[in-house]
Amino acid sequence: MACHGCDLLLESQAVEPGEKLCCPRCGETLKDPQPDSINHTLALTLTGLLLFPFAIFMPIMTLDTMGLENSGNIFDEVITTWFSGYWFIAILLALTTIIFPLAKLALLFLIALNLKLKRYHSSLHLLMRSYVHLDEWGMLEVFMIGILVTIIKMHHMAHIHYDTGLFCFVGLLAATLGSSMMMDKDEFWNLIENGELNGELK
Amino acid sequence: MINPGDDLTAKTAGLAICHDCHKLVPATGKQALPSCPRCGAAIHLRKPDSINRTWALVLSSLILSFPANLLPIMEVDFLGTIEASTIMDGIIYFFQEGSYGIGLVILTASILVPCFKIIGLILILLSIRYRWRSWMRHKMLLFRIIEFIGRWSMLDIFVIALLQVLVNFGSLTAISATTAAPYFAGVVLCTMFAAITFDPRLLWDN
Repeated sequence: MACHGCDLLLESQAVEPGEKLCCPRCGETLKDPQPDSINHTLALTLTGLLLFPFAIFMPIMTLDTMGLENSGNIFDEVITTWFSGYWFIAILLALTTIIFPLAKLALLFLIALNLKLKRYHSSLHLLMRSYVHLDEWGMLEVFMIGILVTIIKMHHMAHIHYDTGLFCFVGLLAATLGSSMMMDKDEFWNLIENGELNGELK
Repeated sequence: MINPGDDLTAKTAGLAICHDCHKLVPATGKQALPSCPRCGAAIHLRKPDSINRTWALVLSSLILSFPANLLPIMEVDFLGTIEASTIMDGIIYFFQEGSYGIGLVILTASILVPCFKIIGLILILLSIRYRWRSWMRHKMLLFRIIEFIGRWSMLDIFVIALLQVLVNFGSLTAISATTAAPYFAGVVLCTMFAAITFDPRLLWDN
């Protein structure tokens, strides 16, 4: 094997869950295996997918000022931004807070399910590659900090009610972060490779 | 000091690491493969045209950061009086209010992080151009930090989008995004793509 950070050629080593293999030259993490990776990933992505519609379409919070009430959800946010003329921002919002996070969960769920059932479909490596490329473009955790900043910004000016959407969103965020931590890329790639090879032999 | 020339790399052995799945694949000689046998990604010894693309994206983000910071990013309409504010105005507002914590969070995410990314990438690119061979591990750490913090600058855009939906009380008061917002998003996108097109292995090559 070689380090993808600095290209140093290394001898491949078996690493147990709980241990981590780092490059001796540049310090890049090379292997970080997780215990029972497939089952954990499957459980967390399923949780995330179930919470997803509620986190996006239920109101996050309601502002109450001088007798007027106004609430909003993530989907409204994209629509409002689109109609205010900032289509570029609206597309970016839709991609980073709705489409990519959903695609990431769905891809990971499909990959983990197929590996769990030992069904090595020939498109599995394409799903996996799509996931690797989408990984950093889902920005739910940044959006969470955005919600916190908004709360702090508004709590002097209006009374804030926290709605169902917010709690679903926190759950969704936890499931998404958990699934990407639990997923062991190395193990997934090896299983896909071996599975597809065996499939060809049959 | 680590001397990068002494170590055996995959490149000198004629091997390339797949960009997508990190499998080691023969890249030169008779057995050279055009695409990865495991995942199908195209095989390159180094990311193609990495330095030029990264320079182009870093300079674009530098240019975009001027309108992003000088133009107003948010408009508050209160009983018909419209008040526009730039990113810096928003931060100063929090400090005057006494909310130092939140002011610092926004200052970090919207101003310090983009500056850090642009300056950091320029330093790394110059260090390859002029073959500066010291502080190798620190430069790697710098690049990893730039990769990691890339997405966090979207914070300001998310806050404005949320405010736009929540503070919308008709003629009483409303908040909306204005001219600087697309430029600011452009800065974030360009720096994120710059980190993606950059190949850290070039730092270690001779």
